[in-house]
Amino acid sequence: MTARVGARPPRAVPRLQPRLRRRETGLLVLVGLIVVLGSVSLGVTKRQLAGQSLTWLPADGGQLAIYLGALLVAHLALVLAGRRSDQVLLPTIGLLGGISLLLMERLPQSLVTQSRAGRSFGRASIQLGWLLLAIGVIAITAIGVRSDAWLRRYKYTWAAAGIVLLLLTFLFGNETNGALLTITVGPFSGQPTELIKVVLVIFLAGYLSDFRPLLVSASMRLGPLRLPPVPYLLPMLAMWAMALGIVVIQRDLGAALLFFAVFLALVYIATNRASYVVLGLLLFVLGSVIAYQLFGTVRDRVDIWFNPFVDASGKGYQVVQSLYAFGRGGIIGTGLGAGLPLVAGRLPIPAIHTDFPFAALGEELGLIGVVAILGLYLVLIERGLRVAASAADDFRALLAAGLTLVVGVQAFIIAAGNLKLIPLTGVTLPFISYGGSSLLANGVVVGLLLALSDQGVEPPPPPRPKRGRRPAFLGGTPHGAR
Amino acid sequence: MNSRDGAPLGQGIARVGLILSLLFGLIAVGAGYWQVVRASELTRAPDNPLVIAAARDVVRGKILDRTGATLATNRKDANGEPYRVYTDRSLAPLIGYASPVYGTAGLERAYNAQLSGQGSPNSLDDLLSKLAPGAAQGDDLTLSLSLKLQEAAVKALGSDRGAVVMLDPRTGRVLAMASTPTFNANAIANPVTAVAAFNRTAAAAGQPFLDRATMGEYVPGSVFKIVTSVAALGSGAISASTTYPQQPAAEQTGLLISGFRVHDAHHDFTGSLALDYDQAIEVSCNIYFALTGLRTGGAALSDWAGRLGFGAPIPFDLPTAVSQVTNGGGSFGGGFKDDVELANAAYGQAETLVTPLQMALVAATVANNGVLMRPELVTSIGGPNGNQSIGPQALRTVMSSGVASTIGDAMGLAVESPWGRIFTTGAAVAGIPTAGKTGTAQLGGSAEPNSWFIGYAPANNPQVAIAVVVEQGGHGSARAAPIAGSLMTLWLKTLNP
Repeated sequence: MTARVGARPPRAVPRLQPRLRRRETGLLVLVGLIVVLGSVSLGVTKRQLAGQSLTWLPADGGQLAIYLGALLVAHLALVLAGRRSDQVLLPTIGLLGGISLLLMERLPQSLVTQSRAGRSFGRASIQLGWLLLAIGVIAITAIGVRSDAWLRRYKYTWAAAGIVLLLLTFLFGNETNGALLTITVGPFSGQPTELIKVVLVIFLAGYLSDFRPLLVSASMRLGPLRLPPVPYLLPMLAMWAMALGIVVIQRDLGAALLFFAVFLALVYIATNRASYVVLGLLLFVLGSVIAYQLFGTVRDRVDIWFNPFVDASGKGYQVVQSLYAFGRGGIIGTGLGAGLPLVAGRLPIPAIHTDFPFAALGEELGLIGVVAILGLYLVLIERGLRVAASAADDFRALLAAGLTLVVGVQAFIIAAGNLKLIPLTGVTLPFISYGGSSLLANGVVVGLLLALSDQGVEPPPPPRPKRGRRPAFLGGTPHGAR
Repeated sequence: MNSRDGAPLGQGIARVGLILSLLFGLIAVGAGYWQVVRASELTRAPDNPLVIAAARDVVRGKILDRTGATLATNRKDANGEPYRVYTDRSLAPLIGYASPVYGTAGLERAYNAQLSGQGSPNSLDDLLSKLAPGAAQGDDLTLSLSLKLQEAAVKALGSDRGAVVMLDPRTGRVLAMASTPTFNANAIANPVTAVAAFNRTAAAAGQPFLDRATMGEYVPGSVFKIVTSVAALGSGAISASTTYPQQPAAEQTGLLISGFRVHDAHHDFTGSLALDYDQAIEVSCNIYFALTGLRTGGAALSDWAGRLGFGAPIPFDLPTAVSQVTNGGGSFGGGFKDDVELANAAYGQAETLVTPLQMALVAATVANNGVLMRPELVTSIGGPNGNQSIGPQALRTVMSSGVASTIGDAMGLAVESPWGRIFTTGAAVAGIPTAGKTGTAQLGGSAEPNSWFIGYAPANNPQVAIAVVVEQGGHGSARAAPIAGSLMTLWLKTLNP
């Protein structure tokens, strides 16, 4: 249970001491009730549409039990580990994942199938498998990561790993909807950008915490802006060039936007200086204009954004259909399983399970459901930023904030894209969209947040005598130092 | 590494958190916009899958004319499946069809949601229908159209291609909206004959599927002089007494503008008389209006035409093509390329293109003291929850009633005066003062010109406005004016005395 990843066990580690997590227990019971209710609602609707008799049973009791069981196991593992980590994150993710499972059960299973060992699995089964893995990753990371030294010490190694992943995608990527997104290795395929975002945050946290004093103090005037000397600006320019490179070579606008936004936010947190943000936004506008001029994909996305109804049956089709779905949902929604009318046997929105789950939920759960889901992401963001704000040092603060932001900003980008608030880009809706890479990467993010939160949420234990060689173990620095 | 240089990070983190919260709040507002404010409009869109799915299951509502006569209803086939039946093929380009094979077109498409029971006008009904879903029932549409007038209009056009739009200038309500050739919508709606009939119609000469009244774009010729009049008199560039000294001489030689000669030479009898505004309308003097266009200026002409509805789709129950005074992009003012284009556009040639509906609205606006009414075809939508009436709606006051009456008086002379009658033979409604303007739109080459007439009657108390275009029908007086006269007579004396 207490597999320790990459850390030498310090002598000070106490014996296994279970610690009840009452708040998490209570919230998980609530999550279980909501997911069971949703599943029953879906089951009743499904059977009604199939002309079967009314029975108050879940849509797929087996999958439901496995999923809730996995959440329970993760909870028990955290209890047994006795860590004082955040108690709200796991239930939040549990509910988002439960919604994802219900949505995948609700969509036709035949659209995604995989055959393994002579059995074929439908969409919901595969997603359930990934959800279980993600929950496992969360628990193992939360319990196992006891030191952040390996994260902060090798920041340039992490940066190099990120660039290698990026290059691999450039070189060996398969095209999906006009963008280079996936690489395939043997029977497995994945989207490296999901992993890159985690690696990138680790690097940025290390880099910014090291150079923060320099970035804050040095300055050079450029018109109305107070900027640090040119050498310190190079990372920003490099980051900008990388984002532009992702747009140019991969044509993956969503990832580029995500990376650059998270980068700017972290720079702002580290320096507390708006001039960086202004400069970054200027670079962003410049890059957008260049990309708009040079690339048809970008131009199409922006034109569709301005008015998708001009070509409602062509280029604007997905966005228009997404808006129709929101419109059909109205305030209270059609109910799970009762929306998304089929046209000639096809779902109304292409790529609904990866790019438009928010629209599907908007239709079936209505505005109420949309607000609730947004609320779940905000809870996630609030918990994550709280971890950041009460972290023991700059690196961990920036790491926690960055991890929170990659999930939060990604959720914003795709939700706003579905609603035509910003141009549509193909990023996943964290913990809800179908797909393994996204679930696993976000699982790592939440696992790390839980690990980082270890001392942040509850009052620290009575101070122990400080020992000389305790460099950066979690739970090391007294909380009162802030 | 653990050192805490500078200020703590808490402030920046809190600000970023605040910004993210605001952004998520923005998403919620966006969701509210689409899910509440725009919901019913989105849900009624003809290509919404819900509407398409419902249209297959629901017995469509009927379509009725102003007297309650049935224009479209349903019959059941051998399997008990309902299909659409239309009363008269004169309605086909307007009403379109609802076909099990080819979906919907025309009014059937524009009102697909209401006809198939998905068009609940308020969100409370939507909310209730979600709580208690049941079999939907299609709503009936009542049109302002007169079936008898519509049949007469199609008959008057005969084997020619063309369009007639008649509306009540006081309300904007459409009385007839004909487009020829027509087609057999019954055959397309009937599942047995749908495929053959659709293919035959799609391949037929003259594009029967095209509703020329709303979607046909024609060179207007001299009927456009009324638009130029609105711009020139409305902006004060000319008055009713304006004359141009160079005009009589130019009748013989042509008017030279930047190397291009505007020719006229169809009213020799005016000789050396410098025409004033009324006389120029009576004899339809091209040179007078070319000079007026130049004096008004391109920007003002485009602007005033825009107030009449040019340059944007007309708000109507059906999609409409956009009428234009120029194809734009020029730098001369108002999008014109140069003074030659402006001078030619001012009497309805050059790049000027109009729909018959737009020209009927021009006549109706003059008739209605300068107030442009929204054209309206569907006057009520009747459902299980009662009737929803749609009242007349003024779009805007285009010009003062003084300007409107100056133009109207000239149009009256154009139909009733000795000079005018030469060009508008047959347009007058016997015993009722009639106002109007013919047009003979040159198409270039040896093709016969398009024959146009726009006008209204009675001139002193307008009850009907009309636009008629007959493709390659020759001079305005040859085909369009007599059709207009007979249809206005039928309406004012027989159908609606």
